[in-house]
Amino acid sequence: MSRILFVLFAFGLILGAFFGVTAGGYVLGALADAHWFQGAHRLVMVLILLLVFVMVIATLLTAAERKWSALMQNRIGPNRAKIFGSPLAGLGHTIADVVKMLTKEDFIPSAANKGLFILAPMLAFGSAFALFAVVPAGPSIELMGNTIDMVAATPDFGVLYVFAIASIAVYGTALAGWSSNNKFGLLGGVRASAQMVSYEVSLGMSLVGMMMIFSTVQLPVMVGETFGQGQFQYIWGNDAAMGTGTGFDFGLPAWGIFMQPLGFILFFVASLAETKRAPFDVPEGESEIIGYFVEYSGMKFGLFMISEFVEIVVLSGLLVVLFLGGYHLPFGEVWLRSLPVMQEHTWLFGALLGTVFWVKVLALILVQLLIRWSAIRFRYDQLQSLGWKTMLPLALGNVFVTGALVLWDPSLRWLTVVGLVFLFALLVLTITHAPSDEEDEAHDEGHGHHDHGHTSPSLHGGSAHALPSAHGADDTLEAAARTAASISH
Amino acid sequence: MAYQASKDPSKEIRERLYLPELIKGVSVSAKQFFRNLFGTRDTNLEVLDRKGLSKVATVQYPEEKVIYPPGYRGLHRLVPRDDGKPRCVACYMCATICPAQCIYIEAGEFEADAGPEASRVIEKFPTRFVIDELRCIVCGLCVEACPKDAIRMDTGVHTPSEYTRADFVYDIPKLLKGPPVSHPSDPWNRREDSHQPHHQPKEAHARIGDGLVGLKLPQPEHEKAALPAGAAAAPKTPPAQVHRFEK
Repeated sequence: MSRILFVLFAFGLILGAFFGVTAGGYVLGALADAHWFQGAHRLVMVLILLLVFVMVIATLLTAAERKWSALMQNRIGPNRAKIFGSPLAGLGHTIADVVKMLTKEDFIPSAANKGLFILAPMLAFGSAFALFAVVPAGPSIELMGNTIDMVAATPDFGVLYVFAIASIAVYGTALAGWSSNNKFGLLGGVRASAQMVSYEVSLGMSLVGMMMIFSTVQLPVMVGETFGQGQFQYIWGNDAAMGTGTGFDFGLPAWGIFMQPLGFILFFVASLAETKRAPFDVPEGESEIIGYFVEYSGMKFGLFMISEFVEIVVLSGLLVVLFLGGYHLPFGEVWLRSLPVMQEHTWLFGALLGTVFWVKVLALILVQLLIRWSAIRFRYDQLQSLGWKTMLPLALGNVFVTGALVLWDPSLRWLTVVGLVFLFALLVLTITHAPSDEEDEAHDEGHGHHDHGHTSPSLHGGSAHALPSAHGADDTLEAAARTAASISH
Repeated sequence: MAYQASKDPSKEIRERLYLPELIKGVSVSAKQFFRNLFGTRDTNLEVLDRKGLSKVATVQYPEEKVIYPPGYRGLHRLVPRDDGKPRCVACYMCATICPAQCIYIEAGEFEADAGPEASRVIEKFPTRFVIDELRCIVCGLCVEACPKDAIRMDTGVHTPSEYTRADFVYDIPKLLKGPPVSHPSDPWNRREDSHQPHHQPKEAHARIGDGLVGLKLPQPEHEKAALPAGAAAAPKTPPAQVHRFEK
């Protein structure tokens, strides 16, 4: 019983930390805008999101991975490094690790190319780190007369920035393998770069569907800043959810995972391969295969290691933003937004939604670790044939099917029906054990189950004036629908 | 033509798709994770008998120690008599049979006119009895060879670690420990005549450190009553049986 209470207390502590830091970020950003210059809150967000959130979560992940994997394997995990007599859930080992890496000899092999040898860990770490700059971790709110965005940068080329920066990570691994002048390091670098290049193709293709649906490449727009934009809308729902009534809104949100389940899976798998972790840890198996950073020691090795954890956080953030509705609640957000207390204290609303975002990120991090400790490593030929022969054709097919469905039904309902059928078939396949001739029945059931959505009122038919804050929601909705239709033409 | 490495014979759609099976595996991991996260670890030293939500199988060694099986040959001890002196009569049997030659004995002799408190009924006693535990190969032959049941390896602990080699050389004060043992055949227990009451044999099955290591012995009910208090305090866990592997 005390254990359950302790775990719940720890959950509360984590939630409180998310809430507190997000709220602090909003307030600090507002203060910077008010007293420094217009737009200074972006600098604050660089500090809060990149240095506080991503770095702290990545650092704690080094402890959490050992502790969580221990729990998955019926062990206790590290608890011997104690601070004031308490193991503190393995945090002492993280501190010991950091001290060890910072104080170890930073060795550079005499035959190594020194400039590239030093550059490689920077490229590996920096590219993973800079990815998070475009991920919105909370809504834009009005505070102290300024609009405060919880995102470090909002370039017009949003997702393309992600692809561009992610591909720079290949240079880090390839250079690390080559410049250390070690044959095994070079082989590891070749393995790593071949794998990353292969999976970058599917990584890009799997997102084309999302770009077509929302007809944008900007991540804040994909998440949806106002009701009816991006993933902040409902496919089906009650009156409040469809914008025709007031009260608690409830329904099926237009999240990417419901419309693009195949894209979600492909992006998830490709991003797992990008992080070079199990089951795609051919470049550097921790205990068996010598990887591209054999010759690295001290904090240079530490940068490679921490960049893996940063990549986990960043890719979880990207997955949440693209497919799991970003910082939006699955239901009730319109109602929450219209509450007087939320209207008055906008920072409270922002911090609540920011907490939602980080909780989703944390859940996806757990899923990534679960996959790491469940799936076995792919053989190298399996890895390449999965990337080129399976994922790339699937991603291309997904693009065509999505394009056809968006063209046919701009309200995205048929797209969602197909997506739900896909998810349902996957669920049926997962929970059944019988031989394979059940799959067709599952498809039929899925169609019959979701057919009623066809007759519901269309999404942009109703008026959206019930919401105090949804000024112009109708217009953006219409525009989104028009552009979604036009991109398909 | 390259060798076709992937010869997957399975035509089952779940395995061909890989994803359903992966989700099943992940759900197994997740179940273990949440069980162990919320469950309190059972510290039962018999790991297979652990109950409860948590399935953690760890025994945290320095704080928790695994129970040694019955018959485990642990650290030697010199068995004391009721009066606290060692039962050893310095016959050199153990030192002779010891294959590692780790036992060194110097014998003393009781004077013929020594008082009754000196246990004059036996002739010799050890003035020095030294075992080099680093040399000992823990074969147990000394225990077999002893005619007086004076040396046993029933302490249930292994040799503890020390900082110097000299600390591993055990002499009488370090070796003489544990519950005393007396047999009816012992000369100091011999009755003068049959009118005296029978000697109650104090066969100590109790091990040193009972409660610390909790050695489990199969003890029939009628024997338990005859055991001294130290043995009765032994843990009441059931004897280790083979049937626990049937689970």
